[in-house]
Amino acid sequence: MIADEPTLANLMRLSQQGDRQAYTVLLTEVKLWLERYFRRRVAPAQLDDLVQEVLLALHRKRASWDPSRAFLPWLAAIARYRWVDHLRKAYRREEAALEDHDAAEDSGEEAVLARLSLDRLLVRISARQAEAIELVKVEGLSIREASARTGQSESAVKVNIHRGLKKLSALVEKAE
Amino acid sequence: MTMNTTPDPLIERLAGELEPVRVPARREGLAWVALAVAATVLAIELIEGLWRGIASGEASAMFWIANGLLLVLGLAAATSAVTMAGPRVGNAHEAPRWALAALGVLPLAVLATLATGGESHSPLADSHGLACALAGLAAGVLTAVTLVLWLRRGAPVSPAAAGLHTGLAAGALGSAAYGLSCPIDGAAHLGIWHVLPVALAAAIGRLAIPPLVRW
Repeated sequence: MIADEPTLANLMRLSQQGDRQAYTVLLTEVKLWLERYFRRRVAPAQLDDLVQEVLLALHRKRASWDPSRAFLPWLAAIARYRWVDHLRKAYRREEAALEDHDAAEDSGEEAVLARLSLDRLLVRISARQAEAIELVKVEGLSIREASARTGQSESAVKVNIHRGLKKLSALVEKAE
Repeated sequence: MTMNTTPDPLIERLAGELEPVRVPARREGLAWVALAVAATVLAIELIEGLWRGIASGEASAMFWIANGLLLVLGLAAATSAVTMAGPRVGNAHEAPRWALAALGVLPLAVLATLATGGESHSPLADSHGLACALAGLAAGVLTAVTLVLWLRRGAPVSPAAAGLHTGLAAGALGSAAYGLSCPIDGAAHLGIWHVLPVALAAAIGRLAIPPLVRW
C-alpha cells in the first residue's frame, strides 16, 4: 500500500529542508499514488508522461506546500491542474481502448481519495461534456467517431470538449 | 510503505538536484500587499495630496461607507489571490464574491434613485467622474504587480480565478486609496465613478493576468 498522509507530509517537510533520502522515498511513493490517481482517466500509453510531468511540477513548486496543512490535497490540486492541461493537449492516439486496471483498492485512504479524485471533477460538468472529453481526450477517438458513438453532431462534440475543459480548469481546487 | 527496488532515473535526478527551499507564509504575501497599498497612498499624497477634510470631520457617511466597502472587497480579494499561490483541493474562494455583491449595492442604489426621480443630477454629467475612475484604476497598478509576482512564486492552479481576484483586489484597493484624495463624497459620484475601477480592473485582470501566472 502507498504511504499515508502523515508519512507523506513528514517526508515532504524533510524534503523542503533538503533531505535527499526522504525526497527519494517521497517521490517514489508519490509516483505510485499518481499512477493510481490517474488510472482510467488517461490513456495508458500516456500515463507515464503525465506522472513524470506532475513529479517535475512537484519538484519545481515544492515551496508552495504549506507544512502546516495536509499534503495530499496539495498534490491532488497540482495533479488535477496538470491533468486538465494534459487533456487540452491530447490528440488522437493509436491506443483507443482503455485497459481496465481495477486492482484491489486500499480502504483506509478511500474517503480522502474520493474527495480529491478526478471523478469528483467530472461529475461537475455536464454528462455530454464529460462523455465528449472521455471519448476524444482520454480514449483517443476522433471527433467524427465520438460524434457517431454519442449521437452528438461533430460541432457539438467540439463545443462540449472546449466548454468542458474550460469548466474543469476552473474547478481544480473544488472538493465537494 | 512500498519501496521500488529499481531506481527511477527521473526521481534520482530530481533528488540529486534537491536544495532546501524557503516556504513563504501567507502573511508574508499579505504584508507585501499592505506595503504596496501604503506606497500607493504615499504617492497619492505626494502627487495629489490627501483630502484634509477627512481628518476635520467634513467627510460624509457615504464617503466612509463606499471606501469601507472597497477596502473590504480589496482585502477579501487580495487574501484570496495570495492563498491561490498555495493550491489545495478544498480551498474555497467565496469571500470576494460576497464582498463584491455588497459593493454592487452602491451603483444599484444610485440607479434606483435616478430611476425613481430622487436624484436630479445624472452621474454621467459628473465632470470629475472619469478622471476619478482612471486615477483609481492607476492607483491599483502597484497592488496588481505585487500580487502577480507573488502568484508567480507559487503554484496557482486556477489562473483565470487568480487573474480575476488580482484584478478585483487591485481595483478595489486602488480606488479606496485614491478615494482618500477625492473630496466629492456624494452617493452618485462614489457609487458610480469609484466603483467603476473595480469592474475595469477585474476585466483587465481576468484577461491579462492568466498568461502571466500560468506554469
